[in-house]
Amino acid sequence: MKINTLRRVFLSLIILLFLLQFLRIKILVGSLSGSVLIWSLNLIDVFAFLESLVATKDFSEKAILSVFPLILLYTIFGRSFCGWVCPMDYIFEQINKINKKQKNILKPSKQIGYILVFCFLIVSFFLEVPFFTNYLSHLTNFFRILSVSILGVLKFPVDISVLYFSLTALFLLIGVEFFFPRLWCKSLCPLGKIYGVFNKVSIIKLKIAESKCSRCGICDKSCYMSVKISDSNKPVIRDTNCIYCGRCVDKCTEKIIKIRFGV
Amino acid sequence: MNITRRDFIKSFFVFSFFSSLSISKTVASSSFERQLQPLPHIDIGGVIRPPGAVEENIFRSKCISCGVCVNICHVMKYNSIAISGIKNIKNFGTPFIKDMRDFPCALCMECPKYCPTGALQKIDKEKVTMGMALIDFNLCFGWNGDVCLSCSKACPMGAKIFDFYHGQWGNQPYINENCVGCGLCVKHCPLGGSAVKVITRQRYQTVKTEYLTLFKGLLEMPLEQRYNLVYTQNLPEILARGRIIEREYR
Repeated sequence: MKINTLRRVFLSLIILLFLLQFLRIKILVGSLSGSVLIWSLNLIDVFAFLESLVATKDFSEKAILSVFPLILLYTIFGRSFCGWVCPMDYIFEQINKINKKQKNILKPSKQIGYILVFCFLIVSFFLEVPFFTNYLSHLTNFFRILSVSILGVLKFPVDISVLYFSLTALFLLIGVEFFFPRLWCKSLCPLGKIYGVFNKVSIIKLKIAESKCSRCGICDKSCYMSVKISDSNKPVIRDTNCIYCGRCVDKCTEKIIKIRFGV
Repeated sequence: MNITRRDFIKSFFVFSFFSSLSISKTVASSSFERQLQPLPHIDIGGVIRPPGAVEENIFRSKCISCGVCVNICHVMKYNSIAISGIKNIKNFGTPFIKDMRDFPCALCMECPKYCPTGALQKIDKEKVTMGMALIDFNLCFGWNGDVCLSCSKACPMGAKIFDFYHGQWGNQPYINENCVGCGLCVKHCPLGGSAVKVITRQRYQTVKTEYLTLFKGLLEMPLEQRYNLVYTQNLPEILARGRIIEREYR
């Protein structure tokens, strides 16, 4: 089975589990920035945790307990959150298919994402509000749209201005994606940058049998995150931008790239 | 039929735009702003947080707007928690109890158990301080010669909270400061638009003296004056509110 189809099945499974909460089936309740798994395990997004920590200037035991399972998960799976769980990945792929001719003119360095992470933390510190997670985060906005529209149609009390705000934020993001393909994922998204740090220590990796490589360069072209796979001359790749989506694995003519676990 | 991807995406965007419009229309029609407020001169004074919320400023910096409490409230079939809108941009995205008239908090205490950030903390039912319920003495049946007691029957804390002043005008209920502010009395009040209003604790501190003088004044009022107040002012107002609500439901 191709990894791409497996990825899509996994993503739709996660979204389905989140949608089941509106039918009062309590497997996964909440959103991707914070949720409860089977009424026992609290989970909270790592960047949301950092922002909340900076905003309160105080350690909260419960938040640390909730972020710990995810840190454990990401030390195993690295940045695969972006490729396998984030719904934006699928939406952006569809947007990119509309304008194939559009080339990304802007090529900012990798560091700008870390600067942005720092900026958001500073803003959170001074406003005492988890700024990015509350207002701008695509995950929060995506799940807010789902929650508000479904509960609103069922005639439960909702504030409709939340829907407008979240739709505007998401459409702005899609607009950025339309004109600058993958700019958000590659260099701006603070969540992705934090998961990228986990990539350096994670157990998951890309393994390449370098000797059999025919240097066709198709892996570089197929990579959405513009990781330089063929250039690196290394048998193992642990790039901070790799989302382990498996596009290079599917496209490789010699079938020598593999996703493997190991220290 | 030949549908290109471009057409599909275009139609998708148009569809989503119109569907969001229709959603907003249904929501707006269902939750019309209730004009019949008890105690119209006292505003709520902010937003009423879910049970177990820490102090307002700390709550704001702890809450990451993940929506766990909102969805858990839906799973528990109470639906009282909503996400606050952009009217107050600082509170945007945080949970609050929106419509106490129809969806009060049932104090099931499930949301503080599962809040992943610790903004809502697990405490006993009795120690919850969501708000403070105030009875509008001009509208309450119990204060105007009737026996109702719906609010005290609905209250999950019961005798701890309700004081009764028995007199010529019936069994007059009064809510003391042990009130947790869940709003079940607001829902179960039979009066059109409810005779009970829940305000935040901070707001209560400012209106406390005013409210208490009103309360004591009514208790010590001479019979003649009280009679006039009830029959010329209060009862016509109660009846008028009943008629308006009746018309709306019809």
